[in-house]
Amino acid sequence: MKRGLALIAAAGIALFAIAAAGAKSNDTTISGAGSTFVSPLVSTWTPALGEAFGLNVQYSGVGSGAGIAAITNRQVDFGASDAPLSPDQASACKGCVQIPWALSATSIAYNVPGAPVHLNLDGKTISKIFLGQITNWNDAAIKALNKGANLPDLKITPVFRSDGSGTSYNYTDYLSAVNPEWKSKIGVSTQPAFPAGVGARGSGGVAGVVSRTDGAITYVDVAFALKNHIRFAAVRNAAGKFLFPSLRRITAAAAAFTKVPRDNEMHIVNPSKKAALAYPICTYTYIIVPQQTSHAPELRKMIFWALTQGQRPQFTAKLLFAPLPKPVLVASEKTLKSIHS
Amino acid sequence: MLPPGMEAASVPGAAALGQTRRVGDRVGDGILHGLTALAALIGVAIVFAIVWRVADGAWPAVKLFRLHFLWAREWNAPLNKFGARDLIVGTVVTSFGAMLLAAPLSIAIGLFLSELAPPAIRGPVGTLVEMLAAVPSVVVGLWGIFVLAPFDAQHVQPFLGSALGWIPIFAHGQDKVESTVFTAMIVLTMMVIPITSSICRELFIGVPTELEEASIGLGATRWEMVRTVVVPTVRGGVVAAVILGLGRALGEAIAVSQVIGNFIPLKLSIFEPGDTLASRVAGQYQGAITNVQIASLIYLALILLVITFITNVAAQRVVKRFEFQRTGGA
Repeated sequence: MKRGLALIAAAGIALFAIAAAGAKSNDTTISGAGSTFVSPLVSTWTPALGEAFGLNVQYSGVGSGAGIAAITNRQVDFGASDAPLSPDQASACKGCVQIPWALSATSIAYNVPGAPVHLNLDGKTISKIFLGQITNWNDAAIKALNKGANLPDLKITPVFRSDGSGTSYNYTDYLSAVNPEWKSKIGVSTQPAFPAGVGARGSGGVAGVVSRTDGAITYVDVAFALKNHIRFAAVRNAAGKFLFPSLRRITAAAAAFTKVPRDNEMHIVNPSKKAALAYPICTYTYIIVPQQTSHAPELRKMIFWALTQGQRPQFTAKLLFAPLPKPVLVASEKTLKSIHS
Repeated sequence: MLPPGMEAASVPGAAALGQTRRVGDRVGDGILHGLTALAALIGVAIVFAIVWRVADGAWPAVKLFRLHFLWAREWNAPLNKFGARDLIVGTVVTSFGAMLLAAPLSIAIGLFLSELAPPAIRGPVGTLVEMLAAVPSVVVGLWGIFVLAPFDAQHVQPFLGSALGWIPIFAHGQDKVESTVFTAMIVLTMMVIPITSSICRELFIGVPTELEEASIGLGATRWEMVRTVVVPTVRGGVVAAVILGLGRALGEAIAVSQVIGNFIPLKLSIFEPGDTLASRVAGQYQGAITNVQIASLIYLALILLVITFITNVAAQRVVKRFEFQRTGGA
């Protein structure tokens, strides 16, 4: 009996020693959590960051809301969110700054057996679907956008994110821009009170429900939709063109907004019809760091690299992240300089 | 009745024993007493700490919404409007619905494995059920999400809808949506059955064989024996087992939030999406936008705490009453 106890104790001490040694050899580990949107991009950056600076970046895509909570409690070195911090979140985070570090789009994904591969939708129709006002796929409004297409008599099930999500923020930002009723009733939020449909947790949860529900429609970031082969719709922009999200169309949308406010909060949905080639549901995504942090030198190196080298097509193109436009890059670098230890 | 010579009075009192015992024993008893008292005290302290912390965190929302929170229906984080009514109803409907399905099934499983199954089956199947009770609820929940929920949406719900659709709470639109209140009930049922059925089995095994043999000897059938001897003997325990399962169902958050659809206002039919207290707290706490929302979510936790407290107290009373009946008040 005593022998057994001694053995267990010895094993425990050995394990502890191994853990301690492991931690020592990687003392430049940078941990981050948040946005699932930016997660695949951070994964492509990680090996390059390891090579360039010996940084061991450990990122978990737990959702923007959870990421903000994690950096607020300082459980991680940085948070990542597709939605800007709300006033209460910003004050709770005590001296955090948000830096736009990637640019992409939200797709409108659907699962309708028998629907055309090229499904056209516009903002008014999408918002009415999510308001519960358009409830069948053979509705006249959808038919009018898809002349000659064979749309089934099938109930529409809107699927939304039930956890705090930057994608929800981007999506409701867009719906508020195209439909005043949405703006006054629901508004822009990471946790909007959707008036119809069913909710699911995380991009994965939403995709799962959509794939198993005939007639479902949802919103999910483009990289996720591409990676999981989810079919998405062409959305009409202000110029009247039906467009799928693509690098050029995301860039075109971002180019329509050149003013960056002091807190870096950008809204680039539904650009005016001058941006004829713009996909209308685009968003910046932010890295959130405390201005004062013990890892300041490493974080500055890492973020600067992400803003410059990290924007190169070899990392971004496949995931449909567009390079940051100049005015945003300038603002991001300026904010980056304020981070100190 | 004790046999003669063993009346209580003939056993020496604790004080008398104390004088005749060795010093080592007395010190050991003292330490045992101290340690157990300390453990009990810590348990009580933790309960109070939890209640205090939850009440304290919920206070801003309690002050703002008062009891109106309990019957307000809207939950709109951006507009700072919060109400718990549909979440309370959702919690009660899913948990009690699950127990309505799980309790008879668990009792049946327990009876079969302890009384009715041939001995060759009893052993292996009994062990399997015990093992099932040891499977973490997350695992059962995942299985529920990926296997049970789709099956339920494709086959069970349309069938029940067509058979019972004329009753409003079973109205079914023939669309195969798996994120519904009913699916949550089914998943919860699967999560509580292992634990309640294994406890029931233990209880039924524990019924003295003499009693069973006597009732068979008096000419009772198996069913009469089960009904008049086995079940009444352990009725209190069975109720306790069901309440244990109910507690688990009430507090289950993640599995429920994956299958219930996270949608309020609640609709009349159980084949529509809904939400529960625990599921809402788990889903929104981390991404809460405003301080009022955080306080409101903790208010939900406080309500859940009160509900579990009430069910536990009620269960204790029921168990006591059954014990009283069984022993004839002795």
